[in-house]
Amino acid sequence: MSYNVLIVDDSKSMRKVILKTLQISGFELGECMEASNGQEALDILEGKWIDLILSDVHMPVMDGTGFIQSLRERDICRDTPVVFVTTEANEDRLNQLMELGASGYIRKPFRPEEIRALLSRIMGETDGFRTGTDVEGCDF
Amino acid sequence: MAFEQEQMLKDVISEVLETMFFAMVDFGEYGPGDGSFDYESEISLLNHTERIAISLQVSEEFARMITANFLGIEEDQVNDDDLCDSLKELANMVGGGYHARINNTGWHLGIPRSWKIGPESMDTTHAEEGLVFAMFGEPAGSAVVNYLSN
Repeated sequence: MSYNVLIVDDSKSMRKVILKTLQISGFELGECMEASNGQEALDILEGKWIDLILSDVHMPVMDGTGFIQSLRERDICRDTPVVFVTTEANEDRLNQLMELGASGYIRKPFRPEEIRALLSRIMGETDGFRTGTDVEGCDF
Repeated sequence: MAFEQEQMLKDVISEVLETMFFAMVDFGEYGPGDGSFDYESEISLLNHTERIAISLQVSEEFARMITANFLGIEEDQVNDDDLCDSLKELANMVGGGYHARINNTGWHLGIPRSWKIGPESMDTTHAEEGLVFAMFGEPAGSAVVNYLSN
């Protein structure tokens, strides 16, 4: 089974890096959509089934907090896991995101193994990943 | 730059460059004013009364190399948009790492910026107090942190 993923980040470069990280982590990637802020992501979610959302916190137009608040108010996306990939260091703000329904967060800079470990926990090791994939020592 | 600030900056620059950009740099071989740099990126940490401005300058050769590493492409495929966007992310992650190393209550990260340094640039801060980092024995970049009142 493969999963449709939405990557939300105002940096095109970071969206590419996250996508590449998912690919080398052995994640069973279906269609991958990209948005540059929370509002664009909501527009995509209106017409597309997404299984997992990876989002930045600091973005123009609609930031990560506004995005997850809006997302959780919508019936169609209420249970879609949202993982924040962020430079945010403020524990209070990270805890607030978790209270709003985030499934987890990863601090930048990150290693591919960290993404894999968190997504394994959230999506299920046998469901979300190809078995036998080893990310140790991998290169982008 | 105070010793503690300088050490935090060294630690965070090394961590970010090694983890996300696959570049190992060293400090101490060169002093302020060494090297010639082509691009600058900047981010601020802000609270109600103060601003911590972190500025990075890098050579074009280094910028191109770390952008290629970051994006997993060849250096000759790197365009100016990729380069400036990657340098913004570098500043963003250095700012985030610095934030994590200080008492973070009340601070928040600003929006990173990056640009090509032009001949009109009159900023002498890097030349006077920049923390120069090197790669393969050549100056690759310089970093400055400034604590300012709002």
